Amino acid sequence: MTMNVNAAAAGGQLEDEYLAEVPLRKERRIRGRSIAVIAFLTFCAAFFCLPLYVILVTSFKTLDQIRLGDIFSLPTEWTIEPWITAWNSACSGITCDGLKVGFVNSLAILFPSLVLSIVLSSVTGYALALWNVRWAGPFLFLLFMCAFIPFQIVMIPLIILTGMFGIYGTVWGIAVVHAITSLPLLTLIFRNYYKDIPREIMQAAVMDSGRFWQIFFRIIVPMSGNILIVVLILMITNIWNDFLIGLTFGGLGTQPMTVILANVVITTTGETLYNENMAAALLTAIPPLVIYFLLGRFFVQGITAGAIKG
Amino acid sequence: MKHLRNTVAAGLAVALASGAAAQDDELVIYHGWSTPAEVSALQVLRDALAEQGIAWKDMAIPHNSGVNVSLVNMVTGGNPPNAFVESNPGVYRDLAARDLSLDLTDLYESEGIAENLAPIVRELSMVDGKFVKVPVALHIDGMVYWNMDVAEEAGVDPASWTSVDEMFADFDKVEEAGFIPAAVGSQAFQVGYLTHALTAAMAGPDIYNRIYGAEPDITAFETEEFADVVAAVRKMSEYAGPETQNRPWNETTNQVINGDALLHIMGDWMKGEWKAAGKEPGVDFGCIPIPGALAVPVTSDAFGLLGGQDEATTEAELTFAATTLSPEISGAFAANKGATPARTDAPADLLDECNIVVQDLLAVDGGAVQNPFNISDSDWHQAIWAVMFDFWSNPDMTTEDVVADLQDEYDAIFY
Repeated sequence: MTMNVNAAAAGGQLEDEYLAEVPLRKERRIRGRSIAVIAFLTFCAAFFCLPLYVILVTSFKTLDQIRLGDIFSLPTEWTIEPWITAWNSACSGITCDGLKVGFVNSLAILFPSLVLSIVLSSVTGYALALWNVRWAGPFLFLLFMCAFIPFQIVMIPLIILTGMFGIYGTVWGIAVVHAITSLPLLTLIFRNYYKDIPREIMQAAVMDSGRFWQIFFRIIVPMSGNILIVVLILMITNIWNDFLIGLTFGGLGTQPMTVILANVVITTTGETLYNENMAAALLTAIPPLVIYFLLGRFFVQGITAGAIKG
Repeated sequence: MKHLRNTVAAGLAVALASGAAAQDDELVIYHGWSTPAEVSALQVLRDALAEQGIAWKDMAIPHNSGVNVSLVNMVTGGNPPNAFVESNPGVYRDLAARDLSLDLTDLYESEGIAENLAPIVRELSMVDGKFVKVPVALHIDGMVYWNMDVAEEAGVDPASWTSVDEMFADFDKVEEAGFIPAAVGSQAFQVGYLTHALTAAMAGPDIYNRIYGAEPDITAFETEEFADVVAAVRKMSEYAGPETQNRPWNETTNQVINGDALLHIMGDWMKGEWKAAGKEPGVDFGCIPIPGALAVPVTSDAFGLLGGQDEATTEAELTFAATTLSPEISGAFAANKGATPARTDAPADLLDECNIVVQDLLAVDGGAVQNPFNISDSDWHQAIWAVMFDFWSNPDMTTEDVVADLQDEYDAIFY
């Protein structure tokens, strides 16, 4: 899903810029070959949309119809009851307050996680890109290697560490772990972006007796609009869709939406309410989608402005 | 900067305070149950505890997302729950090694609980000779639930079968009448459960324990009985029909409920689907063990309790155990969840026909064995699942191939 929206946004964006800069070519008539291509692409799109279709129609069916097992049929009797139940009164354990609990928790996790991870890595990226830091090269290499370490390997040490600091099982624990695990990638992104800031600007700032933090807050941060949007989208999706960190570090009452969703849909030894589960899955997927639609345009701008290149 | 630091410090203080908020009369209950039936069962327990002044702090973890891993994580992080659903004896041994295990033996003896449990449940509730688990719901891993209308139309009577062979003999009749005889879904765990249920039923407790015990005896694979089990699994795969590929167990059960198939062999938790569809045991569907079963494997969902706590908390935990194991609560819990009560003396009006079948089975001396999750090395029993699922999916695989593969797995795991 992520990739599709991305690609679509990128496509639209490139086309716009292309049209603005290059004189229009003469419009060609649609030929047989392009019809074939379009037909093929339509078929592909339909194929990939099939699961979404099934999820969508199932979420509007009654359980009696679902039990018949015909997953492609349209609902004979439309109902939005599953959506309401999923949001308001689906059970996660004995607490039957629906997904809205998880939604609130996810928001509570999202903000501190975003702030911590972005603050930490933008400063690191800034220092590594624009200041003469001793061991900067090896440090960067180390960070880069860290990006490849699976989370599971460092999970237990992180649990012990957060336990020692008394933040295990709280929103802060989750935020700190998100900040730590996203540090390598985000630092690299910020560093590559800041690397393109002309040396002259830095030299002028230093000459005006600017110090590390002054330059950062007065010059660098105001110039970081594009890259902040890129990182924001990356991190919002990342944190919202995260399951493992939320499950591992989320204690009592701080479980994110994904964990609540899993509680709702994973059947152990009982009946499965497919309509409710499908509605719940869609509800959980909506927030990152909305972010993409709202900010997708800026995402491409940010990337083309130098985030990923170099 | 100073302001920021203060904010962070304040945030940490709040976080710490909320982490330490668990009071003496409050128990954190950790489990993986969320379906309506399961929740109504938990509510019975919560209400009973509330009457005694114990508050229930609920903590649900998605089932099979590594429940026991999460438990270990929470213990490591210094934030363990007071009660947790856990069967694996290894976890209890780990807890004991950290002085976090609560021995319930005295409670079991003084309250007369032990003598009111079926022998197999007593076994399932002990680790290393001590009672440490509080059983709440019993399930037989391989029950046969059949659709009575289909049976009538096909002219067969599952209740009259006395052996697996008689069952297979009737299957052709069912096929001729236009039904799928046995709706087993092709998922590794379904085939795995079918295999150990058939092993217990056809090969008996001795061979079952030689295969699924902590230290498996590979000569058990060379017995004629085991070869019969493998042949029966093959027969089931042939009668299950092609449309069962990758079907989840509950959809497979729905084929039986809808009248497309005659029967399903699964854990008797499939009763939840029947009940959700508004069907009654004895009226719409019947239940029997695998015909001619020498033994039945039993799953006992049980709570463990956290030891090494202060006196008040320990007291509350013991109240939790005693309440859960009272005949009334035991019966009500199981009735709501669609299981069989742990206690043999649960009120009779809370039992349905299938419960009585199960209780009769458990009363037979030596007629029950423990679920593999309780006794096997987990690598080993996953390996059996994998081999049997290969066998199920590949019609060219022979019994000899199964035995050879299992021996390879054995060598890889135990040497």
